[in-house]
Amino acid sequence: MSNHHDRQAAQGPAGALVQGLRRIGFSPLGAALFALLLLVPILPFFSNEYIIRWTIIGAFLAAQAVAFDFTAGFINVVPFGFAAIVGVGAYTSAIFSNTSLNLVFHPAISPWAGIWIGALVSGAVGFGLGVLTLRLRGIFAAVMSWFVGIALMGLARNMTWLTRGPSGMAPTTFFEETSNVPYLYIILAMLLVIYVTLNLITRSHIGLAFRAMGQNYDAACASGINPTRYRVMNFTVSSMYAGWLGGFYAHYVGSLTPTSIMDTSKTIEVLAIAYIGGRGSLWGGIVVAFPMVFLMESIRSHWTELPGIQFIIYGVLLILTMIYYPLGIAGIYGWVKKRLVPAVAK
Amino acid sequence: MISSVKQGTRPMASWLSEGRLAAKVVVLLAIILAACIAVHSGAGSLVNVFVTGGMWALLAAGLALVFGVMNIVNFAHGESFMVGSYVGFYVFSPIRDYLADHPNPVLSLGAPLIGIAVAALAGAVLGVLSERLVLAPLRRRTKEGWIMNTFLLTAGISFILVNSANIVMTANFKGVPNYFDIEPVRIFGVRISVDRFAALLIAVVIIMAITWFLKWTRTGQAIRAVSQDETGAEMAGINLNYIHTLTYALSTAMAAAAGASLLFIFQAYPTVGHDPNFYAWYVVMLVGLGNVYGAVIGGFLVALLQTATQEFIGIAWADVVPTAVMILILIVVPSGIFGSVVKGVHEQS
Repeated sequence: MSNHHDRQAAQGPAGALVQGLRRIGFSPLGAALFALLLLVPILPFFSNEYIIRWTIIGAFLAAQAVAFDFTAGFINVVPFGFAAIVGVGAYTSAIFSNTSLNLVFHPAISPWAGIWIGALVSGAVGFGLGVLTLRLRGIFAAVMSWFVGIALMGLARNMTWLTRGPSGMAPTTFFEETSNVPYLYIILAMLLVIYVTLNLITRSHIGLAFRAMGQNYDAACASGINPTRYRVMNFTVSSMYAGWLGGFYAHYVGSLTPTSIMDTSKTIEVLAIAYIGGRGSLWGGIVVAFPMVFLMESIRSHWTELPGIQFIIYGVLLILTMIYYPLGIAGIYGWVKKRLVPAVAK
Repeated sequence: MISSVKQGTRPMASWLSEGRLAAKVVVLLAIILAACIAVHSGAGSLVNVFVTGGMWALLAAGLALVFGVMNIVNFAHGESFMVGSYVGFYVFSPIRDYLADHPNPVLSLGAPLIGIAVAALAGAVLGVLSERLVLAPLRRRTKEGWIMNTFLLTAGISFILVNSANIVMTANFKGVPNYFDIEPVRIFGVRISVDRFAALLIAVVIIMAITWFLKWTRTGQAIRAVSQDETGAEMAGINLNYIHTLTYALSTAMAAAAGASLLFIFQAYPTVGHDPNFYAWYVVMLVGLGNVYGAVIGGFLVALLQTATQEFIGIAWADVVPTAVMILILIVVPSGIFGSVVKGVHEQS
């Protein structure tokens, strides 16, 4: 780790700050960019509700991509039912905070508490999924996750006494005012928590076990890693965060239907961002999500006579990345850093 | 864990005598279930089971073939179905309009077949394009994580195809009320619409043709050789690129033919391939990845399960019950009912 020795040379409070940032997973550049996000409502050009809304969507996708990459990039199992687990969290939170008397179940818990219940329920689903797919290798586990996702969406559609089915629910929003700004800070805080905790986990021995299982399952088992424990742990944590985010979505958008949040195409969106960002690097998805969201939105609003063209570009980018740049943006960054660091040191 | 790795594809009848307990149990249950359905709602539903089963068999066989030969997990299979539907519609409708003014008995019998044949051709073209543009470059670049990579790549292709169809064709449903203007036939006292009978017949004919092709022609044997051992096949002088493209094109052509032959049930619209994709995958997972003959039988089994769910539990649970059954079966027999045929130990994740 020659980088570590180089950076120990930086003395003083600046050096200590950089070291502290690195310990929680931020390079100085990353921290600066994140600070920029926090300042969006204050910056002159960006402070309108439209841009703030798209920044929120970007942060939502980024956080999902981080949780997705935790499973796909480390233990090499692509959770194809990810969107459905997010949806489970969203619906749980919506149901528990339901105040309308149309449905039988209306506990009317505050949305702030509801999202935690959503996280717990999604975590339980993830736990179950982990146990279910224990005997299944790579692709089989991914397809099983896909099937379970479709079944969950079917459940949400059919249990109309609980979820109002395709007509959808209208969960209470966090705040009564319609400004997007407080929601921006909530989602950015959630993104920060998710990224830092998952980064810390992956840099511990647990993360090492994950990587071993992902790279060569049999060798990992032969080295004494208990695949059951680690796979279930990974699925549970990733699903908990997915449900947490789902709860945010429910109380931000204020409207929820099975297909708007649990459909397979939503998983593919998150998957594309995670892959283009670089599998196995948690931060790649964050860096890619924001430009991607703005790019997609500008394409969509520019070419309104071609509905869905932004998804075609999505698909093309995913394919190009997977064939020609399989390591994604994170890989390109690493390549650039390797070239530049010796030059700078000289 | 893959509990049994079999070499290539085997003659159809040999599994009857071999000791796969799970397979025998499932087939027995299926026969009982079929009898229940026949008693409950009459033989007409059984005919529907066979028609749907034929379609799933076509789709799943193509999927299994592509996996067995190229180790590709094709998530865009439903889109071949969609392309077949659209092409069938756009070929058949003009002929139909022409026939309204100039009645011609020969042409009105042949028109649907023309539509289906052209659709199969279009599916083959789509397959060749996909394989050459997307999958061959990946194969040239890296073979690491191949199975998962192809899964995601084909998911990307599916995304592109569905949204392109949405733009070019718009989201409107395009269908035909019926293919043949003939009265339903009575066979063994059951009224069967000629369209459904024709669809079943076409599916059976195509499956038999493929089976004959794989077994008795040199190219078919070359395909089976590649599925058994790629390196050995190459050493024997088989052109791998050609075989790969051919296999993929065959699979997409079969799916497109299925799409066109069922135009009177499944109208053509951009996301029509979503359900067929799910069910084809369901069949393939159920019988074991890569097992082509098992996929054919599995198609009928899954159609039976579908119809049973509809009859006895209600159409709303059509998504949930199959998944629950799949979970149960995969817990007991992770490699599928009829056994997986996965090439190469290293490519298992």
